[in-house]
Amino acid sequence: MKMTKIYSGAYQWIMYGRDENKRSNIIDTNQYLIRTANKCLLLDPGGVELFAPMLAAVLHHAPVDQITDLFASHQDPDIISSLGLWDQALPHAKLHAPALWEGFLRHFGCESIEYVGIPDNGGQIQIENAELQIIPAHYLHSSANFHIYDPKAKILMSGDVGAALEADGSPIYVDNFDAHIEKMRFFHQRWMPSNQAKMNWIQRVRKLDIEIMAPQHGRIFKGDDVKRFLDWFEALQVGTAT
Amino acid sequence: MSKKNKAKSQFVAVASIAAELSAVMYVAKEISLAAANAKAIAFRAGEQAKGFQPITDFINELAKETIQLVNEINEHAFSLYQMTVDDYRRVAACDAFAQVAKLAEGAPYADSLVESSNRAQQKMLTCQSNFKLHVSQLLEQLEAVMHPARAARVIAANSRIEASQAGEYLQSLQAVAESVDNAAQVIHDNVQRCKSALSIINISE
Repeated sequence: MKMTKIYSGAYQWIMYGRDENKRSNIIDTNQYLIRTANKCLLLDPGGVELFAPMLAAVLHHAPVDQITDLFASHQDPDIISSLGLWDQALPHAKLHAPALWEGFLRHFGCESIEYVGIPDNGGQIQIENAELQIIPAHYLHSSANFHIYDPKAKILMSGDVGAALEADGSPIYVDNFDAHIEKMRFFHQRWMPSNQAKMNWIQRVRKLDIEIMAPQHGRIFKGDDVKRFLDWFEALQVGTAT
Repeated sequence: MSKKNKAKSQFVAVASIAAELSAVMYVAKEISLAAANAKAIAFRAGEQAKGFQPITDFINELAKETIQLVNEINEHAFSLYQMTVDDYRRVAACDAFAQVAKLAEGAPYADSLVESSNRAQQKMLTCQSNFKLHVSQLLEQLEAVMHPARAARVIAANSRIEASQAGEYLQSLQAVAESVDNAAQVIHDNVQRCKSALSIINISE
């Protein structure tokens, strides 16, 4: 599992992904950890197949008892089917996830972890000195979907928005936006169902000061590439399958 | 047998029990109907089927007893299913933690996993010992449901004798006796299969 520190200030953001031992027939995912002095928030912890390499990687940065919070942007298996295992590893942790999906997510096993349902209009998560905003991203692609914005680090964890399908072991950051477009097009047109929802999200996100946009698949956008992405996404017709 | 295969066998065994029990329940309800039918025939036959009348009450009682026992067993089997799910998850966690320990070798916080790992191990053992206890209890309940089935066969034999004295109602009452006998046999066979399914779990432990 590759570990990349993407922000280091009063606390840290670490990205985990590009697991070399991942089976080739499951989609590659990016997981993120926000590490403060005594606590950690794990964003979209990943599928059940990924639990062992993921926890082993996190143990390079934090002890188990300091992984206090989990966040699931939506209900998909590549996001959170590992919940049943985290539930046994972290019995005192909290899971912040869409309230709408609670009854569904509990099928993965959630007996000990406290399920903190996120209402449709989002909210906040405070992990010591990290004050995070929960940004609604409904229908992008799930009907109850959220992203995490960190105003101090200027990072937007954008879930499936900005995702790309590409070969294993691809670089962590987008280095040529134009060349990257074709790797993103199908993903957004096929998995994002609503132009209205897309525009709503774009209007919301354009108001945020973003240095890094970190999706759950593919590469991370930095600096001007964030704006380039928003412009490209705005012009893209989504939900085009017939 | 590996832990994972054992868990799979448990799922199959518990699902088989649920299927067999639902068949038993169906048959017990059929006996109850047969009893009501027999009562009506015996009533019409009057003096000719005088000996048959108390038998119909016995048949009805046996059906009721079987239905009640099967309901209790069903509840127990459902708990056993939940324990199987629980056990499956505990085993999966123990396996995953062992894998994490291997992968995290040399990581600065690798040791912090020990507590979770021990806790999962402990819970898995508790879960398995509870499961074993419930299997024994369920076997006892299954044995208990065999009693009314055996009694039903004796009653069916008596019914045939009484039916032979019922003149024009002979055929109808013999049919009732036959259906009670068949139902008792079906219950016996199904319960026997439940016991075999449970024994497979016991052997695999």
